[in-house]
Amino acid sequence: MVALPGSQIRRPRRPGTEVRRPRRPSAREAGTALLFVLPFLLLFAIFRFGPAIAGVILGFTDYTIGGETSWTGLENFRRLVDDPTFWSALRVTVIFTALSVPLSMLASLGMALLTRRAFRGAKLFRSIFFLPVVTSLILAGVVFTWVFADGGPWSRAMGALGLPAGSWLADSALVVPALVLVSVWSRFGYGMLILLARLQDVPAELEEAALTDGASAWQRFRFVTLPQLRPALFFVAIIETTVSFQVFDMIYVMTGGGPVRSSYSLVYLLYDQGFKYFDLGYASAVGVALFVMTIVVALIQRLTLGREE
Amino acid sequence: MRVRKSLSAVAVALVAALAATGCGGSGSGDSDKNTVTMWIYPVIVDEVKHRAHWDETVKAFQSANPDIVVKTEIFPWANRDQALATAIAGNKGPDVVYLIPDQLPKYARNIEPVDEYLDDATKSDYHENVMTSVSIDGKMMGAPILTSAATPICNKKVFAAVGETTYPANWNDLLTMAPKFKAKGYDIAAYPGDAKQTLNQTFYPLLWSAGGDVFSPDGKSVAFNSDAGKKALTLVKQLVDGGYVDKSLITNLPSIEQTRIGQNKVACVWHAPVAEVEPLWGKENIQAVPHFTDVKQVGYGTVGSLSMLKGAKNKEAAGKWIAFATNAENTKKYDLASNFFSPRKSTGTLYAGDPVLNVQEQQVVTSTVGPLHEKARDVQGVLFPEIQAALLGKKSVEQALDDAAKASAPLLD
Repeated sequence: MVALPGSQIRRPRRPGTEVRRPRRPSAREAGTALLFVLPFLLLFAIFRFGPAIAGVILGFTDYTIGGETSWTGLENFRRLVDDPTFWSALRVTVIFTALSVPLSMLASLGMALLTRRAFRGAKLFRSIFFLPVVTSLILAGVVFTWVFADGGPWSRAMGALGLPAGSWLADSALVVPALVLVSVWSRFGYGMLILLARLQDVPAELEEAALTDGASAWQRFRFVTLPQLRPALFFVAIIETTVSFQVFDMIYVMTGGGPVRSSYSLVYLLYDQGFKYFDLGYASAVGVALFVMTIVVALIQRLTLGREE
Repeated sequence: MRVRKSLSAVAVALVAALAATGCGGSGSGDSDKNTVTMWIYPVIVDEVKHRAHWDETVKAFQSANPDIVVKTEIFPWANRDQALATAIAGNKGPDVVYLIPDQLPKYARNIEPVDEYLDDATKSDYHENVMTSVSIDGKMMGAPILTSAATPICNKKVFAAVGETTYPANWNDLLTMAPKFKAKGYDIAAYPGDAKQTLNQTFYPLLWSAGGDVFSPDGKSVAFNSDAGKKALTLVKQLVDGGYVDKSLITNLPSIEQTRIGQNKVACVWHAPVAEVEPLWGKENIQAVPHFTDVKQVGYGTVGSLSMLKGAKNKEAAGKWIAFATNAENTKKYDLASNFFSPRKSTGTLYAGDPVLNVQEQQVVTSTVGPLHEKARDVQGVLFPEIQAALLGKKSVEQALDDAAKASAPLLD
C-alpha cells in the first residue's frame, strides 16, 4: 500500500527555475497602487462598512422611524435572550445551515469532479449546472412552491416511492429539508465553478505519479486531489455558510416562515422587526447577533478546514 | 515614470469623481418652499387614468393657488412601507402620502394631524366609523378619500352547480351548507393562513362578529383569547377538519389563479376583493352578500386617506392641497374611477346600478378597519402562527390563543 499524505506533496518545480522573493514595492509604487484601490475602498466604506457600523450602533438604541432615539445599552440584546421567537429563528437558521452547507459542498465537489475532464459537451454541462446560480431565487421559489405542493411532482414522486405524499412545505418537520434542497440546487453551481478552477490547476503529474505507485481512484482523490482543493473548499465553505445564515428570500416566497414558524429564519425575524414593525433598534440587534455568529463559525472553519492556508 | 504619473493622475481623478458623486447633494430641485410632493399608489389600476386624475386635480388646484406647485408620484403597492420608512428616516419623505389605517399607528409620530386644515362641515360629512378609523388620540391622521367594504362574495356558478339557491348570511350557514358542497367536489369557503395575508381580512371578521376584539378597551392587553375568540377559531377549525376548505392555503397562499378559488371550486370568500376574482369568475357570476352576522354584523373595510408628514416643507400649502384633493367633488370622482366607496355622506350612493358594488357600498357603515394600535401588526405576527398551529391540529384552539396572548404580553409592556 502506498501512503500519500497530502502534506508531503509539493508541486514540482520546473528545472532551471529558482525561487525568487518578490521585490518590495517602493513607497511611490505603493502609493500609486493605493490610489487605484482607493475608489473601491471609498465605495466599500460608504456603502458597506459605514452602514454596518451604523447598524451595530443602532442595536444599542431604541430607534424607530420618526421616534425619539435614545441609548438603551444592552436592552435589545437582553430582549433577544428572552424572545422565544429569536431562539426559534436561530434554531431554524442553524439547522438549515448545518444541512445545506455540507450538502451544497458535496454537490459542488461531485459536479466539479464529474465535469473536470474534457469530454464532448463538458462546457454545456458546466453552463447548465451554473444556470440555477443566475436564476432569480424569487422565480425559483415560485416554481418550487408548485413542485413541493400537495399533488405536485415531488409529492407524487414520494408517493410512488411509498413515502408520505403530502406537501413538504406544509409539514413542520419537512419544510426545512425542502428549503435545503432548493438552496443546494440554487447554490451548487457556484461552488462547482470555484472547485473546478482549482481542479484545473492541480498538476496532472501528481495523479500520474500516484497512479504509477498503484494508488486506487479513492486514494488518488483522498491523498492527491482533496489536499490540493483545501483552500478552495475553505472558501466555498465560508461563502456557503454566510449565504445560509442569511437565508430569507426563498423562505419569504415559499413558506412565509411557516408552517407555525418552522421555517422562520433569523433574517426573516430581522426583516419583520425592521420593515414590518419598524423596530429598527431591535432589528439591528438581531443583525449584530447574526454577524457575531457568522464570524464565530467562520473562525471555527478557519481553524479546521483552512488552518494550513 | 511618466506613465506612472499619468496613472496616478487618472486614479486621483477617479477618486475625486466618485467622491463628488457619492457625497454631493441630492439635487432634487424641490427646494422651493411652495412645492408640495405627494406619494400615491395604484388605487386606480389603469395607470394612465390614474395619472390623468391627478394631473387634472393638480391643474384645478393650481388655477386657484398659482403660488403652490404640486408634484404627485405614483409608486407601486409592493414594499411601499419599506420605501416610505426609508425615505422618512433619510429625511427625503414626501409632504403628503396615501395611507390606510393599518399604517397610521406605525407612522403616527411622523404625521401632522390634518384637523386644522379641514372645516367643520367636512368633518361632519364623514361617516362616523370613517372618522374613528383615521383618528388617533382624538386627532385626524389623514383626510379620508375612499373606503372599501370587504364583504363576502360568492360564486354563482358554484352555487348553480351544487343546486343551492340561497346564499349564506352568517358564519354558521357556512358550516350548515358545507357538506352539500363537499359532496359535489366544491369548498364552501377558503381560509388563507399564510403570513402575507393580514388577519384583518381572515380571522378578525369572525372574531369581531362573535363579539370579540383584538385588544382590551384600554389597549394594554390582548383580548382575542376570549370566549368570542375561541368561538371564532373553532368555527374555522370545523371548516378545516371537515374538509370543507382547502387545507393547503393554511400554510401557503399562491397567486389566486393557482388556487381552487381561481379554479371556480370555492363557493364564497371573504378575504379576496371583487377586482381579484372578477377575471376568474366573471363579473356576472359574482354575488356579493352583506357582512356575515353572529353576535353582530361586521366585517373588514379600509379607509384610504391623504396624510401630511411632519417633515412637510410648507404645511399650510400641503394642508390646502389635502383639503382640495379630498373635497366631496374630487373624492366622488376618484372613488368612481377606482371602484371604491365614498367616506362622505353628502356624496350619496355611487353604485346604485351595480349589483355587486351596491351591496358592498351599503356595508361601508358596518365595516371596521381593525385595531388602531401601535402594536397591531406585531400582535398579528405572534397570533398567525398560533392560528396555523390550531388549524393544523398541533394545538387546541384554547392553547393556541392563550399561547398567542402570552407571547403578545411583552409587546404591550
